[in-house]
Amino acid sequence: MFETGRVCMKIAGRDAGRMCVIVDSIDGRFVLIDGDVRRRKCNIFHLEPLEKTVSLKKGASHEEVAKAFKELGYSVWSTKPKQKTVRPRKVREHLKVQEEKKGHKAEKPKKEKPAAKPKTEKKAPNVPKEEIKK
Amino acid sequence: MVRRSLRSTSWRQIKVKTSSGVRIHYRKARPKKAHCAVTGKPLQGVARLWPSEKAPKIAKRPERPYGGVLSSEAMRKLFKEKVRKLDS
Repeated sequence: MFETGRVCMKIAGRDAGRMCVIVDSIDGRFVLIDGDVRRRKCNIFHLEPLEKTVSLKKGASHEEVAKAFKELGYSVWSTKPKQKTVRPRKVREHLKVQEEKKGHKAEKPKKEKPAAKPKTEKKAPNVPKEEIKK
Repeated sequence: MVRRSLRSTSWRQIKVKTSSGVRIHYRKARPKKAHCAVTGKPLQGVARLWPSEKAPKIAKRPERPYGGVLSSEAMRKLFKEKVRKLDS
């Protein structure tokens, strides 16, 4: 009953109500499943088998299972992350002028700073001692 | 005499044993447990919160189909019937 290629529906867990296929048998009680479900081992008591079967090798990859499921018309679980949608940024009219000004400011070329002058030591003025005493 | 604000049923009376005898404490009541729509049994994993109390969506009910509505047994029976209808 629970052999490789048997189409089942998951009854328990987060993936309950989704279709899956038995890919490999681990124990007399546990089985490796894949399809519209996360690829992992599952207890036989959490599966309800159907009459349908699919021709698959033991330990078939996710891509082979996806091909077989597409022929049957079932959806397949995908682990790729969704691409973020870039929403158009709304700008109010009275703020558009300010943003344009900011844009103009950013376009100005940066002025190059002049080279630093070498530091010179300040010397005290030569004042005769007679004038200091006064 | 009990304070007027404590006379309503929204405040629950709790008896506390102390060395000088049994004293009555007051505590705000909580909503009752959620029950399965099919079997009528109390549901597990469903938080007893007032509508004004905030909590993330995941913390309020189990993360499975019909979570917070049906018990796990009722959900399994439902899906088994679906499968048998597909075959027939």
